[in-house]
Amino acid sequence: MAETIQILPGREALAHRHHFATPEQQRETVMAGMWIFLATEIMMFGGLFMAYAVYRLGHPRAFELGSADMNVVLGSINTALLITSSFTMALAAHAAQEGRLRGLAWLLIATIVIGAVFLGIKFSEYYAHFREHRAPGVWYESKPNEPDPGGVEMFFVLYYIMTGLHAIHMLIGIGIMAVLWLMTLAGRFSRVYHSPVVVSTLYWGFVDIVWMFLFALFYLPGLHQGR
Amino acid sequence: MAEPVIRRKTYALVYIAMLALTLATTLLAFLNMGPFNSVVALVIAVIQAALIAGVFMHALYESALVRIILTGSVLWFLILITLTMTDYLTRSH
Repeated sequence: MAETIQILPGREALAHRHHFATPEQQRETVMAGMWIFLATEIMMFGGLFMAYAVYRLGHPRAFELGSADMNVVLGSINTALLITSSFTMALAAHAAQEGRLRGLAWLLIATIVIGAVFLGIKFSEYYAHFREHRAPGVWYESKPNEPDPGGVEMFFVLYYIMTGLHAIHMLIGIGIMAVLWLMTLAGRFSRVYHSPVVVSTLYWGFVDIVWMFLFALFYLPGLHQGR
Repeated sequence: MAEPVIRRKTYALVYIAMLALTLATTLLAFLNMGPFNSVVALVIAVIQAALIAGVFMHALYESALVRIILTGSVLWFLILITLTMTDYLTRSH
């Protein structure tokens, strides 16, 4: 059950900084700030999803052909992995809220490991595409008799940019969770003070949400035409 | 506003629902439904996004301020999509 709450000497101030009237006000400020950051993230990814929509409207068949090159087994495994890591991260926030620091440390490790496996699978997919000469700007060859080869190439351009930006977000997230893990071991968190953990849960959840759409837009469109 | 603490059972139910939706969207993608393939895939992705934001990210349990920020950013994204599409969908090639 709940371990003893430890607030080390000199760290009490962390629970409630002097420029906030109450801990509740501090908490709401933290949450609002994080959600505003996520709003800017929605705008950044939103522009890319917009580009995807415009090119897919212009080249509907080419996008299905490009999507048929995706490995849906690896893609759906990765989707399940990312959902699992969001679950362990949500449980980490829960452990922090209850002051269960040992549980928090292990759940952070679990999230980091699952996130790293996701990235490993993702990079193996990149490597496979590269070997098939499907890397626009680096090593790209259209398949013989491929209709609308420019459209298929554009599919791959968007694929690398969007999944690549997502992978960068995951790398940053793994770094953040490594710092949280060290902070947990250093006794920085307690039932009273743990907003970095909760805020990072929001970030990781957002990264998961982006992937849900990437999976739907890049992996699924080519499946129904029989591989 | 006090910090919302969500029961672990709720997290677990959402987790199972998320996995089930992933399986459903993958299997449905193998059927040929014409333009409805994209519709089904996107509707399921939106449901998944709502589950993550609402429960894993506590949006359902947060203050009105947070919900206004979230609604505002989604609304802004929809403006981006709508206005661009009114252009691209009405062009004569």
